[in-house]
Amino acid sequence: MSEQSVRASRLPRIPAVPLAIGIGILIGGLLVLASGGDPVAAYRAILVGALAPSNWPNTLNWAVPLVGMTLVAALPLRGGMVNLGGDGQLVIGGLVAALAALYLPLPGPLLIAAAILCAMIASGLYASLAAWGETRFGIPMLISTLLLSYPAIGIASYLVGFPLRDLTTGLAQTRMIPEAARLPVIAGPLNIGLILMVVVAAAVVFFDRRTVAGYELRMRGQNAKFAGYGGVRLASQQVRVMFASGAIAGLVGAILVLGSLYRYQDGALLTPGYTWSGLMAALLAGGAPLGAIAAGLFFAGLQTGGFAMQRETEIPRVLTMVLQAVIILFLAIRHGVGRKSS
Amino acid sequence: MTIELEATGIVKRYGPLLANDHVDLSVLRGEVHAVMGENGAGKSTLMSILYGMQAPDAGRIVLRGTEMHYRSALDAIGAGMGMVHQAFKLFNSLTVWENVVYGMEPARGVFIDRRAAAAKVAALAERYRLQVEPNAVVGKLSVGVRQRVEILKALYRDARVLILDEPTAVLTPQERDGLFDIIRHLTADDRTILFVTHKLHEVMAITDRVTVLRDGKVVDRMVTSETSPREIIRAMTGRAVNLTVEKGAAKPGAVVLQARGLTVAADGGKPVVDHVDLSIRAGEIVGIAGVAGNGQTELIEALTGLRIPDGGSVAIHGVDVTGVDVERHRDAGLAYIPEDRATTGTALTASAADNLAMGFQRKPPLAKGRLLDGAAVTAHAKKLIARFGVKIGSEQLPVGTLSGGNLQKVVVARELSHAAQLLIAEQPTRGVDVGAIEFIHGQLVAERDRGGAVLLVSAELTEILALSDRVLVMFDGRILAELPVAEADEETLGLLMAGRVGEAHLKDGTEAA
Repeated sequence: MSEQSVRASRLPRIPAVPLAIGIGILIGGLLVLASGGDPVAAYRAILVGALAPSNWPNTLNWAVPLVGMTLVAALPLRGGMVNLGGDGQLVIGGLVAALAALYLPLPGPLLIAAAILCAMIASGLYASLAAWGETRFGIPMLISTLLLSYPAIGIASYLVGFPLRDLTTGLAQTRMIPEAARLPVIAGPLNIGLILMVVVAAAVVFFDRRTVAGYELRMRGQNAKFAGYGGVRLASQQVRVMFASGAIAGLVGAILVLGSLYRYQDGALLTPGYTWSGLMAALLAGGAPLGAIAAGLFFAGLQTGGFAMQRETEIPRVLTMVLQAVIILFLAIRHGVGRKSS
Repeated sequence: MTIELEATGIVKRYGPLLANDHVDLSVLRGEVHAVMGENGAGKSTLMSILYGMQAPDAGRIVLRGTEMHYRSALDAIGAGMGMVHQAFKLFNSLTVWENVVYGMEPARGVFIDRRAAAAKVAALAERYRLQVEPNAVVGKLSVGVRQRVEILKALYRDARVLILDEPTAVLTPQERDGLFDIIRHLTADDRTILFVTHKLHEVMAITDRVTVLRDGKVVDRMVTSETSPREIIRAMTGRAVNLTVEKGAAKPGAVVLQARGLTVAADGGKPVVDHVDLSIRAGEIVGIAGVAGNGQTELIEALTGLRIPDGGSVAIHGVDVTGVDVERHRDAGLAYIPEDRATTGTALTASAADNLAMGFQRKPPLAKGRLLDGAAVTAHAKKLIARFGVKIGSEQLPVGTLSGGNLQKVVVARELSHAAQLLIAEQPTRGVDVGAIEFIHGQLVAERDRGGAVLLVSAELTEILALSDRVLVMFDGRILAELPVAEADEETLGLLMAGRVGEAHLKDGTEAA
């Protein structure tokens, strides 16, 4: 009985995204207008700031961590799981990368590789802890991933605030990492972190479309009971997926520390809010990797454009965050309508 | 006898679906009236209309001679209707009396008169022999007692007509008997019971008359004492009962499925599956007959790896698979058509190709190492869709749009194409049209003739009798009897399914466990 009513009330999904973006732009424009600004100028500043060829490096540089954190959220989401612990995993990755770069006695390229690898493994293990807690003890991952972030952030903060602090500055941060451990620069602000992220994104898309494990994860997302009945080992799958998700967060942390900050600084990885923008982008695409990457790029453009708008006009960049929020809200309404009747 | 409640020409439409199509229902004062029908027949819709939760699109409701126009369930409650929902609506952290009087508290000024409230609830419980401690906290009570609290709630509001929606679905047999006693006390007090269920033996045991719904229409009205389970089934399903299956004699071979002392514990009390011994041989179909809720579901879960048994062992084709996951059961030679095709057997939002690939994804030709060969997945789906005659536009379409029979064909096609040693088929034709039933039955027999071992679980006696070579009767978590199909008839099985071994005239060669 309910099956049929679902079919009748489910609205087509594809137009939902452009519609939500349109409504977001409309509401944002009205806000600008109401506060005495010029919406056209504001949007032009955003567009130019994000998409003018001279601004590409900035946009891409912002997109690397944001798309990375999008994949962190999208991968578990593809299987119907939620990883809210991106912040903690990001911080662990960044800190471990900084420490490896500072203390491992290895020559240049090896040092970089080792630092990245250590960061990925550490964050991956930390994320799989939440998965293990759910499969073994039934602690919902939705809660545990989020809660596990706080001790990670707190401990990292303590470590760089006291035992590992760079005493030459007044800030809670480690010493600068050696030149040899810094990611090679491509051009301007861009470093090989961009290439690494492109490779990871391609790998996730390939995994999703072409591998047996990707198929099993997709089926879990569509109906976990069906996947279990069909012989997918749900518990070990959950741990593996969360390891991969955490490892990508670790990579993002490593890229930020080795590629642009050159040290681990308390709070520096979290202030831009990559985790939450990434989570929203992943939700926007329902976990589908290509869509999530596109959404991540869109948000990166929006946010970089926001900085430009703030410089060019008197309109604060918080407008772009409003846009982002409105778009998500309207998409959530559409999702909600479909969910409720099923 | 006077008519207590009469509904005439009730119509309720949800979009394209006609949930109630001119339903007429007439209930006498002081009777227990069963409303029966398969899932989706429109029982719940009708009850929610009678209880004022939904307004009908057309039709009238007359209660004790007065036409009613309910604006909400509160109006219906005020008029003397009561309903015990399948999922209880209780505050677990409050006491019994607090739950019962909630919304109608005896007051002393602005305060609740606690003593009067508790006393009133205790008196009510006493009067109808509902054994409940008024000061107990609801969250700590067993399911059966919580149901009594729900009944008390309705009685406290002086319900003259009480709707019980699948009341025994969650009860143990003992609790069910207790409920039947309560029902008898209620009808003795001239209260009327509407009993919604699809359990046949309960209808036979407790009700006076039966109204059967199918596809939103009333298809039959019967007096319980003048009808038989067989007639009710026929009315509910609309099937010709003589769905005979052409098959030769079985040639049983080696044992494929062996279970010893298999036990699934319940939360306190008697195990749901109680030391079951089973052995199914190659080339035979063994049917498990039983009223739903006697442990069949849990037994199958324990046999397939979906649930870890609390005791005993399972071996498939000589491989011990006790307590291992589904994949290792499948590796050992299990194919499984689950009871619920929509929640377990398929992913409704996924394509037919993806659905048909499940279970094959790790083996060639679908798998090439760790990669999935998309072309092979498509070819596999096309082949099965053609061979099993699934009516679907393209293998890329989601299966959620298929009819019940077609969706079941997707499940059957996938599981049979494993050509596994052991096939467990659970309610393989429930809610499936007659054409698909014949097809699926034919496939199950072909599976047997190919040398597969088939374990069939069905609530339909006709299906068990038509397909099985041996019949096991499950009652109260145990295999109560085992008999060759030649010696099984509906009456014997019916008595055994009700646990009445003594009355079932078991012949030689039949073992009563």
